[in-house]
Amino acid sequence: MQSSLKTLIAAAGLALVASAASAQDSVKVGVSEPLTGAFAASGNYVAQGAQLAAEAINKSGGVLGKKIELIIEDNKSNPTEAVDTAERLIVKDKVPVLMGAWSSTLTLAVMPKLEEYKVPMLVETSSSGKITTSGNPYIFRISPTSEMEATAFAPIAKTLGIKKANFLVTNNDFGKGSMQEFTKMLKGQGIDIGAQETMEPAATDLSAQLAKIKASGGDTLFVTTDVAQLTLILKQAKDQQIAMRVITTGGSVAPDQLIEQAGDAANGSYHLVFFTPWFPDAVKNPDVAQKFTAAWKEKNYNTGGLTEGFRGWDGIYTIAAAINDAGKPDAEAIREAFWKVKVKGVNGDIAFIKQGPAGKESGQNVPSVYLVKIEGGKVVKQ
Amino acid sequence: MKRLGTLAGLLFLFSIPLWLGNFYLLHVLIITGIFIIAAMSLNLLLGYTGQLSLGHAAFFGIGAYVSSLASLGFAVHLLPDWLVTLDPQPVWLGMACAIVITGLCGFAIGKVAFKVRGAYFVIVTISFAEVVRLVALNWDELTQGPMALNNIPPLSVVIPGLVDITFVGKPANYYLVLVFAILTYAIIARLVRSRAGRAMIALKENEALAASVGIDVTKYLVLAAVVSAAAAGAAGALYAHYVRIVDPNVFLFIYTVTMVIMVVAGGKGTLAGPVVGGVIFGLLPEGLRSLAIAPEVQWIVYGVLMILVVYLLPQGIVPALRAYRQRSRSLEPQDAPGANASARQAMP
Amino acid sequence: MDQFLQHCLNALVLGGTYALLGIGLTLIFGIMRVVNFTHGELYSFGAYMMFMFVMLLHLDFFLSLVLAMLLGIALGAAIEFLLLRKLRGADIDTTMLVMIGAWIAMQNFEQLVWSGVAKSIKTPFPSSPLVIGALSVSWNRIFVLVVALGLILCTYALVNRTRLGRAMRATFQDSDTAALMGVDIGTIYMSTFALGSGLAAAAGALLGPIFVVTPTMGDLASLKAFAIVILGGLGNIVGATIGGFILAFIEELGAGYISSGYRDAMGFLLIIVILLARPTGLFSRKERIG
Repeated sequence: MQSSLKTLIAAAGLALVASAASAQDSVKVGVSEPLTGAFAASGNYVAQGAQLAAEAINKSGGVLGKKIELIIEDNKSNPTEAVDTAERLIVKDKVPVLMGAWSSTLTLAVMPKLEEYKVPMLVETSSSGKITTSGNPYIFRISPTSEMEATAFAPIAKTLGIKKANFLVTNNDFGKGSMQEFTKMLKGQGIDIGAQETMEPAATDLSAQLAKIKASGGDTLFVTTDVAQLTLILKQAKDQQIAMRVITTGGSVAPDQLIEQAGDAANGSYHLVFFTPWFPDAVKNPDVAQKFTAAWKEKNYNTGGLTEGFRGWDGIYTIAAAINDAGKPDAEAIREAFWKVKVKGVNGDIAFIKQGPAGKESGQNVPSVYLVKIEGGKVVKQ
Repeated sequence: MKRLGTLAGLLFLFSIPLWLGNFYLLHVLIITGIFIIAAMSLNLLLGYTGQLSLGHAAFFGIGAYVSSLASLGFAVHLLPDWLVTLDPQPVWLGMACAIVITGLCGFAIGKVAFKVRGAYFVIVTISFAEVVRLVALNWDELTQGPMALNNIPPLSVVIPGLVDITFVGKPANYYLVLVFAILTYAIIARLVRSRAGRAMIALKENEALAASVGIDVTKYLVLAAVVSAAAAGAAGALYAHYVRIVDPNVFLFIYTVTMVIMVVAGGKGTLAGPVVGGVIFGLLPEGLRSLAIAPEVQWIVYGVLMILVVYLLPQGIVPALRAYRQRSRSLEPQDAPGANASARQAMP
Repeated sequence: MDQFLQHCLNALVLGGTYALLGIGLTLIFGIMRVVNFTHGELYSFGAYMMFMFVMLLHLDFFLSLVLAMLLGIALGAAIEFLLLRKLRGADIDTTMLVMIGAWIAMQNFEQLVWSGVAKSIKTPFPSSPLVIGALSVSWNRIFVLVVALGLILCTYALVNRTRLGRAMRATFQDSDTAALMGVDIGTIYMSTFALGSGLAAAAGALLGPIFVVTPTMGDLASLKAFAIVILGGLGNIVGATIGGFILAFIEELGAGYISSGYRDAMGFLLIIVILLARPTGLFSRKERIG
């Protein structure tokens, strides 16, 4: 009894020392993700991926000889809260670099704060074109824009033989931006556009929208939202006997989770994803993907979250590379360093090209995009 | 003596940005100040006329949206071929619009309050806030819906040749909010001490009696509602131009609840109540956060405190302190100044 | 036409659960004069219990449903005993503030325990829907409608055909007189609150598997229940039942033909219009129960 008490005290003491040490000898990185609210499922996966990356980096020596310390704040899936997290991370915790903020709307909300405080942010998920074209030099995005997705999808649209397409997207920059780009691409191929329905990010009953889509006809339904809402859509579409090919864009779909939660309602759906854990050979950097997947499985995280969690991993590795290149945990130095990073990520090789008005360009990565299909409860390559 | 105390208190408040180096704390104080203005305005309805209006976040949010939209400009189709456009206006004009429009909303609510009573009034006010939230969420063309109104300009006051201030940064906004809070306090104090205020209180105590001695019940109820809504609207506008983003969640019931907790805990129907309650519940979240307590726990604490306050201090903190002071004064009349001082120290 | 019928079918299913929520609240509101802000929390409580029993403890789906409802009844009784008993006779504002406090504490407790990530619940129903011509509806939804109607009938019988129900009606008319006639008001209040809470939990347990379970799912449910109560008139079970279906039809058709975004606004607009035009509800000449 006494010895265990002693161990406890020793452990507590050690923890104290460790926390004191980490306060001095760590490089802080701020992370703003939706851990609660409409996008909670996705946001938590990204945060888990980020934590895994930080642990892996620290195991192999950290950055600048110090430990990398993530301060993860919950932006509650709400733009005003996202601004508040940025304010807190920058002003209170004095982080020199941020990662966030999952949804395009949340990222766009945070952007003025980056300019105000001159702190760079790595964008890991958001897809709206506006983010990198509005002239904010503090933005570095590793995820593809909706336009890139649409371009990657263009040849597939022909092979699938789409005649008339409907849209059901979440009513924010993510959904609307995607609908805009895909509509443009499809129209360019002479494909008819039917119903263009939106839904509130937190909506759970989508039967009214689906009834309208059913009435409009067509052979394909493009859906852009996160995995939680998508599960509901697939189930409810099946209830209403909507016999359309469902294609999801945005890469936040977690096919494994769909198979688990939507059952055979998920069969026949197509998904644009940016990481294919099912086909380890298809990815550009198999060793990195393997390392990430192993770390994820070791923690017993939901395998459905791999396609979302890799963004957090790639994001933190890119930030760590920039901090190392910068040579000091200083916001301006890190911003400069982002332009030169070359990182082998789960998605592929990460490097930034310039986008937006001259003189105030944002950084944009050119990532890989894959199309997969769910068939008979399994994910197959397309 | 009392004047001197007030002056010292004000000097202290004005001196804070001079010695407080921590900008994050200043940020917390600014947000707290804005909520105190909103709580003071709610107190006018809740504490002085006895109307439990649970849609107060609606006025706050409408103020925020009106002022932001006026200063950002908009182009919106009211009918498919009827386009209404507004070029960006100066921010001070936007804030003035916000105050006028929320005042008009208050007028309507005041009229409704007279028709629909008790629990029904509560539900009407909640519904009102919820409808406004859903409009803000869905009328994308005007409000940007869930994408939020972003890049709202900060307040700037320009009088050619005399003044040219833009309220960016923490200290400037702190002073702005402080001045607004003092103004609101003074206006409400003026109002409740006037004939109109006495009429409102009479009306809350016994409406039938008040009406029978010739108090025009509707008139005073509506007056209180207008002033209350306009002040909440001003707070909302301040908020929008400080955080520079507004989204439909500003109308969420939880914000009304925050204001109600501030008023009820501080002491409804007292001038100092919302200020004391506002300071406690404005700073408490940061205190809990610095103890690494999860936000959920913080809200659980809020909920439990609210229940405890209703059970243990049904009148609120300020009246309880006042009663305590009076009691100790009447027990030991000689030691009155000492007891006074200790009671004041007990105030947070 | 098919689209219209499909909307009606969807509304019918939704209306059943709305009616359940409304009945529970109208009893509490009518008999106890308590504006019950915890109603929505009982709804999400039912859904989370369902999640726990089915997905974590792997109990039978139907058994879980019964357990979720029983736990809802127990939680309702506990709330009445711990929070409301001492406040009997206090003015309506005081109890309302206490209920708001309880609501906030309960919702955040749920978020703490279950996290903010939405949960989904597996059902034993066949995944292919029932198809009638061009219409289709899932078996799960049919089950929900049948159970909801069954519970509504049971509640109606309880209030109108049993001794407890008679005492409840007497308390609703005039609690002082009822007390003089030997009715134990404490018991009546506790049973009313427990029954209302049980119905809300049942509604949550029924809808949880159809949609997803989140800590804030109760907020809108609670506000909609208020709308239904006002629509039907205080303490009016039949009114609340019809009110539930009316609200569901207005929402579903409004969403289908006007704008899906304003679906949830319909209920609140309805409250405002009704209260301004007819403050005692659509179906009541004078307030009554049963």
